[in-house]
Amino acid sequence: MGKPTKCYLCETTLSKNEIGLNKKMQGKNATRFYCINCLANYLEVTVEDLHVKIEEFKLQGCTLFD
Amino acid sequence: MIYADNAATTKMSELAFAKMLPFFQEQYGNASSQYSLGVKAKRAVEHSRRQVAEAIGAQLSEITFTSGGSEANSWVLRGVTDSFKGESIHIITTQIEHHSVLNACHTIESMGVEVTYLPVGNDGVIDIKKLIAAIKSNTKLVSVMLANNEIGTIQPVAEIGAFLHERGIWLHTDAVQAVGHIPVNVADLCVDLLSASAHKFNGAKGTGFLYMRSGISLPNLVFGGEQEHGYRAGTENVAGIVGAGFALEESVKDMPETADRLQTMIRETVTNVQERIPTARVNGNSELRLPGTVNLGFDGVSGEALMNLLDLKGICVSTSSACNSGKSEPSHVLLALGLNEEQAQSAIRISYGRFNTANEAKAVATAICEAYDKIKGSQAEHTSSNLCYHT
Repeated sequence: MGKPTKCYLCETTLSKNEIGLNKKMQGKNATRFYCINCLANYLEVTVEDLHVKIEEFKLQGCTLFD
Repeated sequence: MIYADNAATTKMSELAFAKMLPFFQEQYGNASSQYSLGVKAKRAVEHSRRQVAEAIGAQLSEITFTSGGSEANSWVLRGVTDSFKGESIHIITTQIEHHSVLNACHTIESMGVEVTYLPVGNDGVIDIKKLIAAIKSNTKLVSVMLANNEIGTIQPVAEIGAFLHERGIWLHTDAVQAVGHIPVNVADLCVDLLSASAHKFNGAKGTGFLYMRSGISLPNLVFGGEQEHGYRAGTENVAGIVGAGFALEESVKDMPETADRLQTMIRETVTNVQERIPTARVNGNSELRLPGTVNLGFDGVSGEALMNLLDLKGICVSTSSACNSGKSEPSHVLLALGLNEEQAQSAIRISYGRFNTANEAKAVATAICEAYDKIKGSQAEHTSSNLCYHT
């Protein structure tokens, strides 16, 4: 079964960065992927926190992100 | 922020930092210069050499400052190879060494040196009988780390040293994780060579040292001037060396109290986590371990994801898996313990240091359980029974 392409909660189509973020934050066994807003809510952090993490992952050379 | 990754690096000691400062802008002389400013720098370097030597029971002439542990490790492996150039030699090391040893071994293998990589038991400790069985007539060096950087396991180096000493085989130990954290005495350990790094014991990054027993001489790794008894060329990192001396002296003085405190914090962290996540396991030997380091495995949960969620909550721990493309490489240390790839990728290392508090340890345990719940909650097959049980 492929990885979800829509948010588990709001069904928004997920961007590459959002899919990458779900993989980094929830691991390969995750089957519920969230858009950045719902993920921030689920993880009890801010959307800005997650944007910062995306930039950090990119700086580390992670190719999961645009 | 809670910094629980002291095996990666440590916050500088305030004393060591204060002692370093004058050497940047006031006493910035080159320790090789012959005027007073240079002599003061030289005197500071020699004072630090005395502090380091006393901390590990060595003589002054046996300490050579380097840029860190990796340089010291590389120097030993390359130096022994060069010392026996033209001869067919054999070196023994273990499968769980730091990459600065393993990659140096791979390099010297390409130069014709035979290297045996000893396995470890599932507790991360080598079997001395296997080491003895691996010795050949042309074995010139055994390199076994004193404490492992990923799981904290302490190896029986003194026992190995006693055996090798009688047979004239050199013993090197990478003591980067041990120096300043557990008692290290080169005579008790029977080692001929020992590597250490200042930033692991609250000194500054960029400074380390190699202990080389009197009577042993390795060819230089760095060429140039006659600094460091002619063994290590390059203008001395005076400030870093000064910081190393004071940081180590302070760590050794406080060691009994610090070790007791960290051991208690680790024990409580593990207990708190296992009460709520009974499947969580300690990777490596539970007893023969550095006081402040533990490696925990969580089946079915990515260690990287745990680390990332903890990071979002301001808690720094590490995972052994290196990831830069969504496919992480499992730790060679955890694989050597017999874990499968998935288990190896489900581990995090917690390493407390002298600046951590008992309250921080409690917060770390709670945050781990909460992060575990979040990750499990996103897995379709999860049920309420495999979530953390919050007490």
